[in-house]
Parts: sequence; C-alpha cells; structure tokens
Amino acid sequence: MIWNEPKECMSRDERKADQSKKLIDVVKNVYHNVPFYRKKMQETGLEPGDVKNIEDIEKLPFTTKNDLRENYPFGLFAVPKSEIVRVHASSGTTGKSIVVGYSRKDIDMFSEVVARAYCCTGVTKEDIVQIAYGYGLFTGGLGMHYGAEKLGATVIPVSGGNTSKQLDLLQDFGSTVLACTPSYAAYLSEAIDEAKIDKKDLKLRIGIFGAEPWSNEMRSKIEAGLNITAYDIYGLSEIIGPGVSCSCEMQDGLHIAEDHFYPEILNTETLKAENPGTIGELVFTTITKEAMPLLRYRTRDLASLNYDACKCGRTNVRMSKIQGRSDDMLIIRGVNVFPSQVESALLEIEEAKPHYMLVVDRVGTMDTLEIQVEIDDRYFSDEMVELNKVRQKIKRKVESILGISVIINLVEHKTIARSEGKAQRVIDKRKI
Amino acid sequence: MGIKQLSIFVANEKGTLADVTRIFREHEIDIRAISVYDTVDYGILRTVVSEPEKAVEALAKEGIVSKLSDILTINPEDKRGSLNDIFTLLGDNDINIDYIYSFLVREDGSQLFVLKVNDKEKAQELLEKNGVEIIREL
Repeated sequence: MIWNEPKECMSRDERKADQSKKLIDVVKNVYHNVPFYRKKMQETGLEPGDVKNIEDIEKLPFTTKNDLRENYPFGLFAVPKSEIVRVHASSGTTGKSIVVGYSRKDIDMFSEVVARAYCCTGVTKEDIVQIAYGYGLFTGGLGMHYGAEKLGATVIPVSGGNTSKQLDLLQDFGSTVLACTPSYAAYLSEAIDEAKIDKKDLKLRIGIFGAEPWSNEMRSKIEAGLNITAYDIYGLSEIIGPGVSCSCEMQDGLHIAEDHFYPEILNTETLKAENPGTIGELVFTTITKEAMPLLRYRTRDLASLNYDACKCGRTNVRMSKIQGRSDDMLIIRGVNVFPSQVESALLEIEEAKPHYMLVVDRVGTMDTLEIQVEIDDRYFSDEMVELNKVRQKIKRKVESILGISVIINLVEHKTIARSEGKAQRVIDKRKI
Repeated sequence: MGIKQLSIFVANEKGTLADVTRIFREHEIDIRAISVYDTVDYGILRTVVSEPEKAVEALAKEGIVSKLSDILTINPEDKRGSLNDIFTLLGDNDINIDYIYSFLVREDGSQLFVLKVNDKEKAQELLEKNGVEIIREL
C-alpha cells in the first residue's frame, strides 16, 4: 500500500515543479528570518529572487554540523519560540550538542513521512509496533512513535534496552513490527534463542531498522534470526529524524520523501553534482520545514541516487544504502562518535596522554568501542587497584561525553604508532 | 634504605617478558626475584634486580614505563606456622598487605618474602620486635 499516492507517485515533471516552488519559498523564508543564512547569501551576493527553480539550488550556500554547533541552541530557528512545539538534540559532542526545533506543522510532516515509511514496509493499522529506539532527545523513539500513531497502528513505546522486558512484550502483546537499530535487533534475536523462546510463538513479521549503517549480510542474518522481513529506514535529526527515506518491499533502495527533503549527491572533493548512480556525499535541503529549515545540509553520508520509477509504484527518488562516511565520524550502536570528542575528553584527564586509539568491533552482534590509552610513568602504579582507578576515571569521563559504554585499555608506552601527518586514530574492524 | 622493587607495565602479549629481560641482560642487570600480576590485557611485572636505578634508566630508553617502590623483604623462620604468625601480627595491627611473593636465595637456600604493605615503617618495626629477620640488602 502507498500512504500518500499523490505525493509519492507524481511524475518527474510534476515533482520538479513542486520542488521549485517550495525551494523559492524556503529561500525567501531563511533570507528574511535566519540571520545566519542572510549573511551567508549576502556574502556571495545572492538574493532570494535569484533562485527561480530547483536547479538554482547549486547557487545556495552549504550548511554543516559545525554551523549548527556554532548557532547552539536556537540560532537557526526561523520562527518565534512560541511556535516551537518540540526540541530534539543529538548526543552531546564536546560540551555542545546539536539542537533541532519543530513547529506543529513540522511534527505533522514528521509523522506523515514516518507513516509513509511504515506503509512502504507493509505495516498497516492492524499491526502492533514495538518501538525499541530510545525515547527522549534522540529523534528515533518519538519519531517512530508519532508515525505509527498517524498510521493507526498500535504502539508499544518500550524504548531501548531492557531486553528481558522486550522479550516479554514480544510474547505477551504479540508485537508484529519491531523498530530499533539493526544491532539491537540482532542482539534481541540472540536473546530470543538464549531464552529458548520458540520463534513460531512470536507474531513478529516486519522489522524497521535504522540509525546506523548495516550490510545486506546483516539484514539476512536478522531476517533469519527473527523470522521477519527487515527494512532500512534512514534519517538524521538535522533534517527531521527517521523517515527521510525508507526501503520498500522491492528492497532496491530507500524512497526519499522528496516533496519535503530535496537530495543532492555531490563529489566529495569538488562538491559538484554527481551523476545518478555515482556515490558521493548526500546533501539535503528541507523545502517545507518551518521551524528550522536547512539549506544544503552536508550529511557526510555517502550514497548514490536512482531516479527510475520503482516497481512498487512509487516514483520518488531512491537512495542507496549508506556506503560510508566522508569524515571520521563513527556510528556505534546508533550513536555518533567523533574521535576528536574522545581526544578532548582525554585531555581533561591529567593521567591520560593524548596518545589513544579507538578500536571499533562487533562482538557477536553488538558494536563495541575500545579506547586504548598509553600508560605514562606519571601515573603508572605497581598496584593494580590504582591502575584500575585510572581506568575507571577515564571510562567515566569518556562515557559521560559520548553517551555510550566504552572499554578502556591501558597499553604500553609507544604502542600506538606516532604519525607525522594525520594520525591514524581509529581501527574499525566491523564489516558493514 | 632497604631493597627496592622494580615494577614494569607490560602488555599481555607474546614476547614482552623476553623484551624486558633482554634489556636487563644487555645492561648486565641480574634478576633476583620475579612475579607477574596479569589481567586480560596487561600485567605488572614485579622484580627485584641487582641495580634497580640503572634498570629504570635502561627501560625508559626503550620506552618501557617502570617504577621503583619500597618493599619489605623478610626471611621468616623455616618452621610450620611462621607465616601465619606474621600475617596475624600484621593484621592485628591494622597493616594491610597489598601483595606478596617469595624467592629463593641460592647461596644459603633461604626463602625470602617480598611484602608490599600500607605502612612499611610500622610493619618493619613490629616484625623486628617480634624476631622476624628483615633483609636490607641482597
């Protein structure tokens, strides 16, 4: 079923006209209401009237994660605060997190695109949706929640974690849809086996997983483990949250809600448009958002676009699965981690030298982050108790900043290779 | 003064003990006692060597972190219950033992014990008063 056929199935010509009109509006809006964008446009001598159709998007300035940080918390809002009905924020980076605001209309649109995503995967109002994404500042939980309600499905807002409770609910409530990160889905699948629950007794049929990159191999594994069909949902809080795009039953790319989010794929070096099918950096412009519209937001996610109509009937553009990142950001158990965050955390601890290495691995199905810190004669103690205290201190500090649990390992002095140029700080052993 | 113990941070990896002992060998440092405390990923190598200060320097040159610490070396009487007497005495006087290991002196066959305690001076005084031989030099 298609949730909103007029919007999801329009011809490419209609699409272009619709997007052009919306782009003109959003550019006017940010020029008049967001000083950050007015300044950026004035710097290049660009006036709102210069943008006449969607192709003119190339003239517009980019927005980066750093711009959001510098305008923390509400600097990019285009409406008075009284119009903001909700705020979400990304996990804290070094002190400052990224804040996004929503007007009532934005929340409606958010619910709409998530409802479309559910529909894309075959979820109906008859389904019972167990939402095991975190609820709170993270957009995952509430985003998936509102969308499921909009669709009319029954929502179980269990949030993330508490695995034994998740298993109880799957059995007792007969959940038919599971929404969470792929790594948590894989973990639940193992927990079900360990608890010797007969999968035949579960009603689960669909899984909607996102917030971290995952491979087709992992999808097959989860599908077999949970006896479901798994779908990929993509989103980021800067743009809206989950629901920017979602895969359909054809499993051939993720349909982008391009009547709200205009995608571009740019060459990572030249920042010029790539041809359809070529992998580059995914850039989004929110063309209908009220509270916090963003022009050409650089996601740093690598993907390609496919404009061919899909066999499912939808004509909106599809993006490939995320192929990687154009920066050093890691996504660990759904949380964004920058190596620089770890560095600044370590620098605040007198015992820790800035010689560290991040080792990301997937143990079983869970992502692990090990931080190797070089031992230093200033705090080396011949008592294990003292060394463990140092370890705990580093662990607490890093965890409070990253928001995920980490393993701290002390390593011998000069174990970590010194580099003349850009230091190799990360070893990612995961196969994505 | 008394005997100094040399503690060395070592990774739990193949060849680390060989590395450390190679450095001792090259600098003509003799090992009198050796003990390793290990965790999954790393360990602390505790040794009593002939020239501890020289050893620290030699290790540092090769980027190995080490540290000297004051320890108590005792030569308990060779009779049943002597260690029990010593531990009871220390315990009754609120002295905690962080760790202990023993080694043999080849020359006279005596078995010495290295103790790391929370109050070395007090422990030493107490033990001496109770007739336990304290070794100050090897």
